[in-house]
Amino acid sequence: MLGFCCRLRRVSPPTTPAATAVESGLFRALAVLRVILVLNAVGLNVYRADNFEHPAAAVMCVGAMALWTGFATWAYADPRRRTAVLLVTDLALAVALVAATPAVKGASFNATIPGFWVAGALLAWAAHFRTGGGLLAGLLLAGVDLSLRDHIRQLDYGNAFLLVIGGAVVGFLCGSLQRMATERDAAERAAAVAAERARLARVVHDGVLQVLALVQRRGLELGGDLAELGRLAGEQERSLRGLIRAEEGAPATASTVDLVGELARLERSGSVTVSTPAFPVELPAPVATELLAATRACLDNVRVHVGEDAPAWVLLEAFPDRVELSVRDDGPGIPPGRLETAAETGRLGVRESIRGRIEDLGGTATLVTGELGTEWELVVPRGTGEDG
Amino acid sequence: MEPIRVMVVDDHPMWRDAVERDLVAAGLDVVAVAADGRSAIARFTATRPDVVVLDLQIPEPDGVGVTAEIVRQDPSVRVLILSASGEQQDVLAAVKAGAAGYLVKSASSQELLAAVRRVAQGEPVFTPGLAGLVLGEFQRISEAPAEPDDQRLTERETEVLRMVAKGLSYRQIADRLVLSHRTVQNHVQNTLRKLQMHNRVELTRYAIERGLDEE
Repeated sequence: MLGFCCRLRRVSPPTTPAATAVESGLFRALAVLRVILVLNAVGLNVYRADNFEHPAAAVMCVGAMALWTGFATWAYADPRRRTAVLLVTDLALAVALVAATPAVKGASFNATIPGFWVAGALLAWAAHFRTGGGLLAGLLLAGVDLSLRDHIRQLDYGNAFLLVIGGAVVGFLCGSLQRMATERDAAERAAAVAAERARLARVVHDGVLQVLALVQRRGLELGGDLAELGRLAGEQERSLRGLIRAEEGAPATASTVDLVGELARLERSGSVTVSTPAFPVELPAPVATELLAATRACLDNVRVHVGEDAPAWVLLEAFPDRVELSVRDDGPGIPPGRLETAAETGRLGVRESIRGRIEDLGGTATLVTGELGTEWELVVPRGTGEDG
Repeated sequence: MEPIRVMVVDDHPMWRDAVERDLVAAGLDVVAVAADGRSAIARFTATRPDVVVLDLQIPEPDGVGVTAEIVRQDPSVRVLILSASGEQQDVLAAVKAGAAGYLVKSASSQELLAAVRRVAQGEPVFTPGLAGLVLGEFQRISEAPAEPDDQRLTERETEVLRMVAKGLSYRQIADRLVLSHRTVQNHVQNTLRKLQMHNRVELTRYAIERGLDEE
């Protein structure tokens, strides 16, 4: 009995509210099952009333089963009453009724007095003590049942085996359900905490952005050293804004990247303006990486050929079947034929890094140049099933 | 000419003062200031300014809510969003609720003044960033089935909006498309009008669905 108690402690009952809620659900279902089991047991015992050597004792046993079923239904309904004492009593009564069978029915009995009614106690142990509890209760009931029989038939062994396996399997399932409910609760709590943290971060960021923008504004008005300070504040303000926009994009999975968030990082103090839709535009990671690299190459080109701080505009448009990305500058334009000359002389700079990348993605890269500056139009098809 | 009557709404006192000082120095009439949504709506009702310079991140109700309420009270009011964080969804929501323009706070005082004067004349103030948001929104709308044609952009309007998003000035767009400056302005204004109309239709449809569900 001492060893038994030690094992009981190892199969600990549920501790989290979610696990308790799952357990309560299981016990509600079990209450219904118990009623069915007791009706079945009463019916079978009445039908086989002739088998009993001691009818008075049999009536007492069946009466005890009915009373206990009523009490157990009430007792298990409240998590606070699901104590080890209740569960041990539940199982002990089932074992005792099985053990009483030879005395009441005679040594060569077929069915025990409780019959399938013992499943109530078995499943209670499985629900409360999970795999270990179900296994323990199953072994105990099966062992007592088999040990009392003068000879063990195939059917008896089968029933005993089912008790052991059933207890363990149901116990395992109950444990899994409780663990899943606990994990779901934890995930929901984590999501709520993250949302609150994001809200607080927004408030803080907004305050920082306001101050940086104000320093920039006043600095430029006051001039001198303060103008430089203002310029620096402005730079920080823009890069923080870009960072926030990038972080607010959809939480991209490992295989996709939100192009809107990534492009926002390319925005530069006073030079590069990025315009995108308000919704995330997700592309497979390799496609997005190439497209971003091509965009960077376009912007580098602007810096080299037009000027370090030359203004440039990036526009992203997302269609169901493709994305269109334009990079425009106000510069003097590229003389006709220069790209081709560069390609022929082996200096494949622009052509290789922009056209090559886009054509590898099955898209097109078009260069339009004229008096209103130079514009790269990058069109890349979207895979099916992408969210737009 | 009567000076433009402006209300400034911002919960940061230093910002509010700086904007107010710039506007007053330029000869505009700042008729009210407010630090939160509730007092903004109350003071708007009392003073009826021509232009409201509005920060989006203010205590309840936020800039989007204030825009919706004051435009409901007076459809002729011009709301210019002046936002620090430039949160895309909020900016778009404010414009759909009836704001006439959007500037980031890092804009210079000259840019702010020019923007206030332009919205006062009824012209929308479109940054390339806002044009990108609006283009994206119309693309999203066009993917929804069975939208009435009067809520879609014409090809010309899309073309103009795309050019604004690519950083071209109205003058450059007029030159390239061989249109008058005024026509370009009208196209831009139409895109905003259609967006706001679509928003009202969506809200009404939502209200009707909710109403039917409750019965």
